[in-house]
Amino acid sequence: MTVQETASSATKSGTGKKPKPVLSEGKKAERRLGLWLCAPAAFVMIAVTGYPIIYSIWLSLQRYDLRFPAQQEFVGLDNYIAVLSNGYWWTAFGTTMGLTIVSVVIEFVLGMGLALIMHRTLVGRGLVRTVALIPYGIVTVVAAFSWYYAWTPDTGYLANLFFPDTAPLTEYWPSLAIIVLAEVWKTTPFMALLLMAGLALVPDDLLKAAAMDGATAWQRFTKVMLPVMKPAILVALLFRTLDAFRIFDNIFVLTNGAQDTSSVSMQTYNNLVKGLNLGIGSTMAVLIFITVAIIAFLFIKVFGTAAPGSDNGGKR
Amino acid sequence: MVMGGAVTSGRKLRWGLVDILVLVFALVPVLWVVSLSFKTKETLDDGNFIPSEWTWQNYADIFETTEFIRALVNSIGIAIIATVIAVVLGTMAAYAIARLDFPGKQLLVGMSLLIAMFPQVSLVTPLFNIERELGLFDTWPGLILPYITFALPLSIYTLSAFFREIPWELEKAAKMDGATPAQAFRKVIAPLAAPGVFTTAILVFIFCWNDFLFAISLTSTEASRTVPAALSFFTGSSQFEDPTGTISAAAVVITVPIILFVLLFQRRIVAGLTSGAVKG
Amino acid sequence: MGKRMSASRSGRSPGRAAALLGATALTAGLLAGCGSGSGLKINVYYAPEDNFQSVVDDCTKASGGRYEVVYNKLPRPADGQREQMVRRLAAGDDSLDVLGLDVTWVSEFAEAGWADEWTGAAKAEATAGVLPGPLETATWNGKLYAATKNTNVQLLWYDDRLTPTPPKTWDEMIQQAQALKAQGKPANVVFTGAQYEGLVVIYNTLVESAGGKILSDDGKSVVMDAGAVKALEMLKKVATAGITDPSLTNSKEDEVRQSFQRGNAAFELNWPFVYASYAKEKKDALQHFKWTTYPEFEAGKPAKTTIGGYNLAVSSTSKHKAEAYEVALCLRNEKNQKFSALKDGVPPTLESLYTDTAPLDPTAAVGADNPSMDTTYPMRETILDALKDAAVRPLTPAYQNASTVLSKVLSPPSEIDPRKTAEKLREQLADALQSKGVIP
Repeated sequence: MTVQETASSATKSGTGKKPKPVLSEGKKAERRLGLWLCAPAAFVMIAVTGYPIIYSIWLSLQRYDLRFPAQQEFVGLDNYIAVLSNGYWWTAFGTTMGLTIVSVVIEFVLGMGLALIMHRTLVGRGLVRTVALIPYGIVTVVAAFSWYYAWTPDTGYLANLFFPDTAPLTEYWPSLAIIVLAEVWKTTPFMALLLMAGLALVPDDLLKAAAMDGATAWQRFTKVMLPVMKPAILVALLFRTLDAFRIFDNIFVLTNGAQDTSSVSMQTYNNLVKGLNLGIGSTMAVLIFITVAIIAFLFIKVFGTAAPGSDNGGKR
Repeated sequence: MVMGGAVTSGRKLRWGLVDILVLVFALVPVLWVVSLSFKTKETLDDGNFIPSEWTWQNYADIFETTEFIRALVNSIGIAIIATVIAVVLGTMAAYAIARLDFPGKQLLVGMSLLIAMFPQVSLVTPLFNIERELGLFDTWPGLILPYITFALPLSIYTLSAFFREIPWELEKAAKMDGATPAQAFRKVIAPLAAPGVFTTAILVFIFCWNDFLFAISLTSTEASRTVPAALSFFTGSSQFEDPTGTISAAAVVITVPIILFVLLFQRRIVAGLTSGAVKG
Repeated sequence: MGKRMSASRSGRSPGRAAALLGATALTAGLLAGCGSGSGLKINVYYAPEDNFQSVVDDCTKASGGRYEVVYNKLPRPADGQREQMVRRLAAGDDSLDVLGLDVTWVSEFAEAGWADEWTGAAKAEATAGVLPGPLETATWNGKLYAATKNTNVQLLWYDDRLTPTPPKTWDEMIQQAQALKAQGKPANVVFTGAQYEGLVVIYNTLVESAGGKILSDDGKSVVMDAGAVKALEMLKKVATAGITDPSLTNSKEDEVRQSFQRGNAAFELNWPFVYASYAKEKKDALQHFKWTTYPEFEAGKPAKTTIGGYNLAVSSTSKHKAEAYEVALCLRNEKNQKFSALKDGVPPTLESLYTDTAPLDPTAAVGADNPSMDTTYPMRETILDALKDAAVRPLTPAYQNASTVLSKVLSPPSEIDPRKTAEKLREQLADALQSKGVIP
């Protein structure tokens, strides 16, 4: 394991960010190794997505409707103006943003609780850990459809139980609440699993020591566990948020966007795939991408050095 | 594992209650799908949580033709291959990101996030065109490649988040105690890395297993169509009726491999913790 | 813009297909019986239909070994079917030969140059004996772009124990429903009110029955005349009369069927598939399950009901057009339309089949396993009546855009403000037709 020795010695010797002049032999070897280790992943990602992403961005600058190919032309930012000055877009944007924030917050709280339970429970740990992950494993469309069925008067046990004689999926707030419920139920396990793996990294002796120093359970949680879990929390929140903002299946099945419950991804689908308007559709995709990038940037700023690849290695 | 104090039966009871709460939360909606899969067509829409008439017909229907079985084989093969490759490549890259200093590190981290962020619906058509040119359309590699690609960002992020929390000094300590490098890796580092690796494997596997968008767009026959896509080829009694019964049955069947996979791997997530290596 | 569109369309030579077809007609005779094994495959892309494979096999057999017809099943949701075909056609895929098109897609595929124009003998065969409504859906700008495979039309379904005489007009239907409600009986009028194509179907029927128009005949401009506004008023009236299901705005065809079957409703506006389900699931009450044509908008003016169904087009990228025409014609010939009608419940487009009495296997007696048009379609005369004076959804290459806008603006029907909604539709439909701006 010379690799790791080299690596750790390099870390110890305090790596400057720009070691311009002469690189030590070890340093060079480390660089080479780093590049070689990353090359396959980078190659696959670029090979598969490079062209499609660039192509989408290029399309967003064109007037291009598949049905009227003769009218294709470069229009600069016209598509962006068209989308950004459209009321439907902003309604969907607001809905999507609201759904994202609410569901991610709920998922985080529940996911943390679930992770603690899965990690610490004294009875039936294997059972709880396995069963708790099942919702994430159910195909989204099927799960959404079963919620739809459950909340439709007469065909569903939930509607009959909670809202006899009304149809919650036909009203604005109830349908949003059901969409959130479906999202939360489906993806809390994702959060919980990542957080649980983070919990597994918290050394027990540290907790014991804290307990002996008289720290309360809450203090042990916030002062000992959370700091160690920070990278795991970042990954869980980041990837959940990115995904939540692109919510599609659940809304598509539950309301099909009625009562202004449409999301930006549904609108993209309607314009790009159904409407065959590659220009406007791609513009929406790029706008979603930019929004999500801003969210990701904020997360990484907030979490600072806990972010992967940040320089100080995140050591405690 | 146990923090402070002996395991009293009271504590066990409390945990038992909490567990039941979790099981109810996770399972009730699933049982609803199970219930739908056992209902007869006549009672499907009666709103009863427990079927008033039970039938195996829906299960018989989906296994009647090879369509579903082929899709199941495709799903299992494609998801396992993609998971293995994505986790291996992800582990390599994440190790480098967490432990090594090299130029372009930030670029890789940023780029993988960028790929995770781009709406996939707009990437599908260009991918379709490329794959058709290369003859990858409607083949296993044609799905495995995009799955690896879109699973890699999550793998790299998850794994590097875990790798940097591993106290790598322990490895050195072990070697000082006389362990060979191989032993040090196997006994000390591998158990510590295991939770991250297996967590990633579970997440990637589920991602590949559940994907619908690529599965429906990049396949056209039974040669590579996976289960989520195959579901939309089931037919109801007419164009206007969804085959709710058979879809529910299929959903139940395809959840079994997920449960097995999770059952197998979730143990490893504890492994890192209980190995005692932490105490060094 | 319109001019450029038509210019691009007429870029294909209409005579070519006819010439090819003539040539095949000749060679067909020569080659028939030459044995199989030519290896030629004709690819049919069509929606999932349980027994369509038998029809496809029949057409392979009919080729006498010259080619094999391959059924490439498309996914169940209509949007998914269109998406898959369009993606391939836009990429210039030449492996597509015959395309199964929903009636609303023909103008789009024609305008984009994906569907070949039918001429000559093939056209003659594809139009012979076809009911005028379905035929109109296969036509764009006066030219034929597809052969009709099956049609569909909604009827008014009711229970004669509740309503011995069905309502003649919408107003009457609302009054009867309200009277039933006052008596505490099942009273609802159920129809497809969710924000999707089904709502457009209902609205289109109302507009056409009120003598109005949504778009101009050439599909290039918005009309939204007085009839269209009156239709908005009626839609609002129904939705606010206290006689609709609470889940109206989330109801698609199957929810509508279920609601009526559970006895929640007095009137159901739906496609004929509901009959087969009722016969299977509520056998005891079947004798009371009755149907009639759609209610009239104004008394004395028969309703014009929106039709659905599928057409078969020949892909313009096909390398085997002559065979493709032959296959398309075979898949929807009298024998196969009858087979599909009986086995898969899709009403035929050939008028003669509505008076056909022979069972599926004419050599055996009629029975449960050997249905005839009589036994499967007791409502066939009503269907035929509706089809004879049917309404076609606006023909325009931008139909998907128009439909998305219509369903969005019309939902929920209870919040329609006739003048304002009409104004909104005029504005947004105009943009949608030119694929300008954003669709919701």
